[in-house]
Amino acid sequence: MVLLESEQFLTELTRLFQKCRLSGSVYITLKKYDGRTKPAPRKGSVEGVEPSDNKCLLRATDGKKKISTVVSSKEVNKFQMAYSNLLRANMDGLKKRDKKSKSKKSKTAQ
Amino acid sequence: MRQYQTWEEFSRTAEKLYLADPMKARVVLKYRHSDGSLCIKVTDDLVCLVYRTDQAQDVKKIEKFHSQLMRLMLAKESRSVAMEMD
Repeated sequence: MVLLESEQFLTELTRLFQKCRLSGSVYITLKKYDGRTKPAPRKGSVEGVEPSDNKCLLRATDGKKKISTVVSSKEVNKFQMAYSNLLRANMDGLKKRDKKSKSKKSKTAQ
Repeated sequence: MRQYQTWEEFSRTAEKLYLADPMKARVVLKYRHSDGSLCIKVTDDLVCLVYRTDQAQDVKKIEKFHSQLMRLMLAKESRSVAMEMD
């Protein structure tokens, strides 16, 4: 699993989408992250050094290659804009709903 | 595992599921360009909610919902936004 910076993650995610255009799936996972880097110890309730509340983990894979990034509230605005644009631009293979326009073709729209 | 046919129902239930236990819940998106299908799943490993679609109009809804959940995860304060306590 490759942990990347948010910008690099977006670049690699774009590549994943492009790679899977003809066949294959792109999986994206989003989860809240509390900043722990070590597994929770069984004995003694020693909390991780910094249990932070404002991070999330984003993972992406095509089944073979795995990438991930941690997003914190500081980068969220810029990242979210770029990320949303990326998703919308790449998930463009779905059916367009044009049943309405076909039936209205003969009738003039008001 | 519960498959939803309506987006309204799915997004309402999914958000509730996340808010019930933010650390447990995760969101999974699966996109297949070859099939022209998009699937979003929200689960806490006990309950699993899934919404599938092949309609372009759902992409925006799903992407907005995904971003909304991301913002919830990144909200610093643990108190809800609705309750503003001094």
